[in-house]
Amino acid sequence: MRQEHFIVRHEAEWLAIEQWLDARAASPRRARADRGWRGLPDEDFPAAYRRLCQQLGLARRRGYSPQLVARLQELMQRGHAVMYRPPLPRWRRAFEFFLADMPRLVRAESGVMWAALALFAIPLLASFIAVQVKPELIHTLLNVQQVAEYEAMYDPALPKLGRDAESDLAMFGHYIMNTISIGLRTFASGLLAGLGPALALAVNGFMIGGVAGHLQLSGHGDPFWRFVVGHAAFELTAIVIAGGAGLRLGLDLIAPGRRRRIDALVEGGRRGAWLCLGVFAMLLVAAFIEAFWSSIGWIPAWGKYSVGGALWALVLGWLWFGGRDRHAA
Amino acid sequence: MLDTVREVHTPEGVALRLPAAGPIPRALAWAIDFGIRLGLLMAASMVLGVMGEAGMGLYLVLLFAVFWLYPIICEGLFDGQTPGKRALDLRVVSSDGAPVGWLAACVRNLMRTVDMLPFGYACGLVSGLVDPWGRRLGDLVAGTMVVHVPKNRRLPVMEGDGVMAPALPLRPAEQQAIIAFAERAPRLTPERQVELADIAAPATGAQGGEGVRRLAGIAHWLLGKR
Repeated sequence: MRQEHFIVRHEAEWLAIEQWLDARAASPRRARADRGWRGLPDEDFPAAYRRLCQQLGLARRRGYSPQLVARLQELMQRGHAVMYRPPLPRWRRAFEFFLADMPRLVRAESGVMWAALALFAIPLLASFIAVQVKPELIHTLLNVQQVAEYEAMYDPALPKLGRDAESDLAMFGHYIMNTISIGLRTFASGLLAGLGPALALAVNGFMIGGVAGHLQLSGHGDPFWRFVVGHAAFELTAIVIAGGAGLRLGLDLIAPGRRRRIDALVEGGRRGAWLCLGVFAMLLVAAFIEAFWSSIGWIPAWGKYSVGGALWALVLGWLWFGGRDRHAA
Repeated sequence: MLDTVREVHTPEGVALRLPAAGPIPRALAWAIDFGIRLGLLMAASMVLGVMGEAGMGLYLVLLFAVFWLYPIICEGLFDGQTPGKRALDLRVVSSDGAPVGWLAACVRNLMRTVDMLPFGYACGLVSGLVDPWGRRLGDLVAGTMVVHVPKNRRLPVMEGDGVMAPALPLRPAEQQAIIAFAERAPRLTPERQVELADIAAPATGAQGGEGVRRLAGIAHWLLGKR
């Protein structure tokens, strides 16, 4: 077939596709709201696109002019971007994710999660006990000035817990910047063969355990425990989950099994990103509790501990039971 | 490493060409984005500075957002283009040529943490130089790549009065060469035009100035004028 005949025969289809792409492709939501559309019906677009692809193949094969091939190629690329774009995020889906999918994802990776917990909890307990037995060991972790700062933060005489005079909002920003950055970095550094999260978990465990042990020993224990018990439920579990996701990524790199290494990494990255989304939300909640609840000084110990216990039960129950009633998706 | 165009075959059986972007344009795009982020923070610090302690908290929240969320949100919302990438005509796409999704945008930007190691995106640079399509580690894990957005700008074609069909059928590469000649001709000396047109004498059937005139006519014919 000569080029002129080819164009005459198919021109109308190309124009219809072009008009559809111009009018309806950019935003499905807007397209759905617009009921007055009289051009190519949405449901016919995939078929029209496939025909266009075939015509492009023919035009290339038959050596039609570069002009025509370029025009068809551009239409095809725009069509491809519409056909294969990822689905739009939906709010209902986000709700489902946090209630059910996130705990399922954590349980699905229970091996690395337990490993991350061990990497975090064992150094924590070890350094706590070590400081109880030999108090001077705290100075291997912190210098004198840092020790004094921690002691000042949890001075029983202060009206507010865990800080000097900064306002709640200022500390909220501080917690968000610090803890969430640490969480995300713990996951991402898993790409270094899992060494990043292992190191981050162990170092954090040692530090937290050491500081807690020292404060307990030096008579600052009451304000310290009252301060941390609330937000620790979200913060510590989130850090462990981020570490577990990072370990998973590192394992995918070291031992991809029967998959190609790159496929294992892509898979691990995708799962890790979902987990990071959950970690992000948990740390947001933790920062909120830490800034606006944990610091309140006048609430008696039993109030703090019962709320803290409830939060721990909530988080662990969520991770243990969340999404159990759903079939594997 | 020499052929940086990735050719993907779509499920419909046609080839999609993805011209991978190298480290220099990507670094420039990053620098533009960095400037925008810095500007945002400066503007915010002026406003929030007068609010005292609360302002400090909001500033830190903003700092977090600018550091972690800015690239994710830009790439998710604007079809894989942060303002810097838009300025340099770059785009993040999935490695099969489809638009990048939110999840992939999250992964590739979270992984910046590793690409930045040990300093100045050194890991990302090494990975980008080793990988045939210039992907940094984050791109590898997210299954994405950064491509040049194709520019469909046609140069003005040389003037010509007549339109004429070629004397013999031309292959696509030959057609392209003739159109390219017509686009470049206005910037060439007449002697050079004649020299080049003489090579195409079998198609035009003429030599010298007449050959140039006919070649322009063929180019117009190929571009669809009748």
